[in-house]
Amino acid sequence: MRQLGTSIIKEILILIRDRAGLAIIFIMPMILIFVMALIQDSTFRKMDETSLSVLFIDEDCDSVGLAIAQGLSKSEMIILEKTYKGKILNRETLIRLVTEGKFQIGIIVPPGATENLTVKAEYMIDKAFEEEDFPVAEPEIDSSIIILYFDPVIKHSFRETMRISLGKLTYGIESKMVFDLFAKKVSELLDIESKLVYDPSGILRLEERSAGNKHTEIIPNSVQHNVPAWAVFAMFFILIPLTGNIIKERQSGSMLRIRLMPGSYWITILAKILIYLFISMIQFTLMLLVGLLILPLFGLPLLDLGKHFFALFVMVVATGLAATGFGLALGAIANTHEQAASFGSVSVIILAALGGIWVPVFAMPEVMQKFSLVSPLNWGLEGFYAIFLRGSGLVDILPWAGLLTAFCILSMAVAFYFLRLKKN
Amino acid sequence: MEEKIAIQIDHISKTYKGSNSPAVDDISLEIPSRARFGLLGPNGAGKTTTINIMCGLLNYNKGNISINGMMLEKKYKKIRRMIGLVPQDIALYDTLTARENLRFIGKMYGLKGKDLKNRIEESLEMVGLAHTGHKQIRTYSGGMKRRINLVAGILHQPEILILDEPTAGVDVQSRNMILQFLHGLNEKGTTIIYTSHYLEEAEDLCSSIAIIDHGKVIITGETKEIIGSKKEYTDLESVFLHLTGRRLRD
Repeated sequence: MRQLGTSIIKEILILIRDRAGLAIIFIMPMILIFVMALIQDSTFRKMDETSLSVLFIDEDCDSVGLAIAQGLSKSEMIILEKTYKGKILNRETLIRLVTEGKFQIGIIVPPGATENLTVKAEYMIDKAFEEEDFPVAEPEIDSSIIILYFDPVIKHSFRETMRISLGKLTYGIESKMVFDLFAKKVSELLDIESKLVYDPSGILRLEERSAGNKHTEIIPNSVQHNVPAWAVFAMFFILIPLTGNIIKERQSGSMLRIRLMPGSYWITILAKILIYLFISMIQFTLMLLVGLLILPLFGLPLLDLGKHFFALFVMVVATGLAATGFGLALGAIANTHEQAASFGSVSVIILAALGGIWVPVFAMPEVMQKFSLVSPLNWGLEGFYAIFLRGSGLVDILPWAGLLTAFCILSMAVAFYFLRLKKN
Repeated sequence: MEEKIAIQIDHISKTYKGSNSPAVDDISLEIPSRARFGLLGPNGAGKTTTINIMCGLLNYNKGNISINGMMLEKKYKKIRRMIGLVPQDIALYDTLTARENLRFIGKMYGLKGKDLKNRIEESLEMVGLAHTGHKQIRTYSGGMKRRINLVAGILHQPEILILDEPTAGVDVQSRNMILQFLHGLNEKGTTIIYTSHYLEEAEDLCSSIAIIDHGKVIITGETKEIIGSKKEYTDLESVFLHLTGRRLRD
């Protein structure tokens, strides 16, 4: 134990005197989180938030136009704009604004839409109660076409959502009008006051329920993505100082001296593992503090840590172990610091890209989503996502923590193999 | 009285993985206790490999080694406390001070408290570095680094001190100091095993030598006896050149 303590003190002294290494370990990732969260905030808002300004012209100025306007306004994702720069919209302006991409959707309810719908509905009712001697003549009316203008670059999901919403609204208006006229006709025929009431709520109802825990309703934002993502990235980036430490020790001959000391070779390695694991935990804590204390000062959302702090601790330890194991393996395999630094940094960047650190996995193409599963950085990120976004506890994150621990064990086995190989 | 043997090497061979020729080929040596033994040879002769094998840092393919009568493979834990190594490279942490480096090494050897502190201060005093012991190694000159590298190998007071080119690249003053220091250690009973390319230095320091080339021992014995064995041998350098040739080595 004394030897372990001595080795740990030695590692701490070496670390605190390596200013470049400290900057890589602590300061760079904090800056990275700060910058990336700010840069990606608007992108995440677009992905996360569902509100969209929609240009709206009601040329009908009657029930249909009014019902569509009211119906769309009820939706949280739609903000109706009937004016532009203080002026009432006209068709030309609407088309121009959508064409120029200033607005992504424009809706025009044509004149006479209510009248046409009423005439058509009355014809349908009259036709239903038609007597042979008094045939009902079909009225000569044109279809009222509600026009939707779309910016070609609009997301397909928004386009579909708008089309479905409008379809549902017009269908509801038509149904209500037909029902009301039917009720009126029945009332006339039976000479009684109609008690039929149109109830659009229906018998078949749709209810949305979350598949996860209570925290599922938290919508991911740039902070909730960037803080865990770049914290995982930073934790894996400790392989640069770690491999540098191992290679320098080997090249300087210190490792040779250490191997001659009684029982100290593996103790020295264990000291490195413990120190870098501890560093990764401090790193993660600092990253969280950036998310909790600094980012909100710049108008970014507050980081939500969930409720399961022990699960969080387990994930941090598992991720730190995986990162340390990877660094140890690379330090054992590489012959020079240049080899380790270039391969290490590039490999972490590739694994980060695959793992959803740069671009979240859900925004990746389907093929790449499958590839993301091979990245240990993805395992770390998914574990933190589970705790922060889904409110998952220890049991839920165990698969991710298990994968990371297995990766650590595999990496250390590789490291020990190469350390022994190089010994001979 | 029978002479005590510090290191007995019997028919040791070592071939590195991926190499066709052995780095050490059937070497046998007997180094008496309290000797100042020079292991000499041109570049690539197998000196460092032999030293690493003696220290138990490198496995060998065949043969036997015993240190102070104990088989190296069987009693390695005990044996390695008896050995001090001064590697060819400056095997120290350059961002730690001299005292911090020595404290780390001393504690790893189980030294502690006042004993450790006294040994560090005495060692630093002996090599003239007491006044700079608080400075980081990276600020030291080449000669100072060599001296502290030497001290790091003897802090635990080993019975056998193995030095791999301890005076390489240092000035005359530091070299002189190191050699005097080694003489002093030997007089106190430490067996010195020493490699160097400075043959004049080796002739001055070493009571006995072995010259190895291509992994084989080509001559071994008392230094003075070897030099006096042939007319054409005027000094150790002439012996060396006669036996290993003048062909340049990689």
